[in-house]
Amino acid sequence: MPDEYRQGVLRFVEMHANSELMGVLPEREWILRAPTLRRKLALTAKVQDEVGHAQLLYRVAEDLGKSRGQMIEDLLAGKTKFHNVFHYPTRSWADVGVIAWLVDAAAIVAQQALRDSSYAPYARTMRKICWEESVHIMHGRDVVVTMVNGTQAQRDMVQEALDRWWGPLMQMHGPRSDRARDRDIYWRIKAKTSEELRQEFLSIYVPRVWELGLTLPDPELRRDREDGVWHYSEPDWQELRTVVTNHGPRSQERLAFRRENWADTAWVRAIVLGARGAAA
Amino acid sequence: MTTAGADLVPATRNALSLLLLSMADDEFVIGFSDSEWTGIAPLLEEDVAMSSLAQDELGHAQALYRLLADVVADGRDADAIAFDRPPEGYYHARLLDHPRGDWAHTIARRFLYDTADAVRLEALANSSFVPLREVVDKVRREERYHVMHVTTWFERLAGSGGEARGRLLDALEQMGPDAGTVLSPLPTELALEMAAIVAAPLAELEARWRASLAPTFARFDLPPLPPTRDPDRARTNHSDAFRWLHGEFTSVRQLDRGATW
Repeated sequence: MPDEYRQGVLRFVEMHANSELMGVLPEREWILRAPTLRRKLALTAKVQDEVGHAQLLYRVAEDLGKSRGQMIEDLLAGKTKFHNVFHYPTRSWADVGVIAWLVDAAAIVAQQALRDSSYAPYARTMRKICWEESVHIMHGRDVVVTMVNGTQAQRDMVQEALDRWWGPLMQMHGPRSDRARDRDIYWRIKAKTSEELRQEFLSIYVPRVWELGLTLPDPELRRDREDGVWHYSEPDWQELRTVVTNHGPRSQERLAFRRENWADTAWVRAIVLGARGAAA
Repeated sequence: MTTAGADLVPATRNALSLLLLSMADDEFVIGFSDSEWTGIAPLLEEDVAMSSLAQDELGHAQALYRLLADVVADGRDADAIAFDRPPEGYYHARLLDHPRGDWAHTIARRFLYDTADAVRLEALANSSFVPLREVVDKVRREERYHVMHVTTWFERLAGSGGEARGRLLDALEQMGPDAGTVLSPLPTELALEMAAIVAAPLAELEARWRASLAPTFARFDLPPLPPTRDPDRARTNHSDAFRWLHGEFTSVRQLDRGATW
């Protein structure tokens, strides 16, 4: 395996694993607050899936030469990154619906393209993950649809959440990039550019959002009748850069919370993992 | 809707309702406490396991609340019973009033609860009340794995020495006087025994449970569990930790109790 390829896959999968692990935190805050038994069960199962994905992905990454413990230490030290959407706060139960529906949808658009990744262990793992993520989308949509069909206050709650999440969602796949210069595409670790993924996400989900009578906070958003391309206001790329370098609105709190829990449970890992100690 | 237990005399139906409420609330509250570990457990593998346990307990609570809703038939559904009571209206054992605490507290609480619950479920396995017997049959199949899981952890902590054992001893010291509350007598239990809904008085079950734990405690040289403190109020006078939990789990629903969520 060429070293550049190994490093490329490792960096890609490690960031994906980190994102699954950190992505647990915003939704986890609502497990205790779920308003019915069914929602409580669904949300616990959903967050459990994300933890399971982190575990699967760290295993894929570990094979490439970096231990799980080291990856977690690097994440907690702010040396490695996680996806922009997990740096933001949650404000209401509607966030649970919008995250599971649209954040997971934006993610699955990218993840589906990874099922054909040139690194076969990653591709195989992505097949399982995509299947579970598609269930999350149904859960999220069900939360949203229920609230949209509920009281005016519930409907307003969904619209407010959607307005807040739209900016980060549009930034999530990253700025347009030059296909010819993208090393991850060269090695076929991934197959699609940021803009291809964003267009796919918009094509599928904007009509579904509008169908519910919800609005999106971008006056420029429209699909060209001729070529089918979506036009939108330029996302705030400075915000994206700020957020993913751990300067987002909840970056430091979430990392501090993880560090604290990691330290508090070190003694458990020490007895289970023995000499490898609290590392992993 | 069919009304389960319609053929029972009122005293028996009331006693059955109280038993179902106590069991459902026990599962509901421990399910919530365990779900606090989702996303932050000591190991990813254990995180996934603990989430499964929490989901099982919530599923059991749901089945028991549904049965209770059927028995009391006062128009409330399982969710209304589970969520729409003030904190003092909950009837779970005081053992479950202890906050999540560290991993040793979680393991100690689960070990004490799961072993006691197993004895309670065994006494209901041949219940004359068929709908309960059916729920218990399903619950026991899952609880078997809970006991295996928590016993592995309990023995690991007890046998590790050092910090792990020290933390477990602290947890047992704090929770020990409340451990027996899961099997403390219910005020109306005589009616349950007479109707053959429960196979034996709870006091007898508690003795059976204590005897079952003795070999493990002896093997790991753990101090024996003390007698239950204040058994007459085993399921009332809930702690501030529970009041906090109650505030959390009702926070969204209380925004509009009439709404569909």
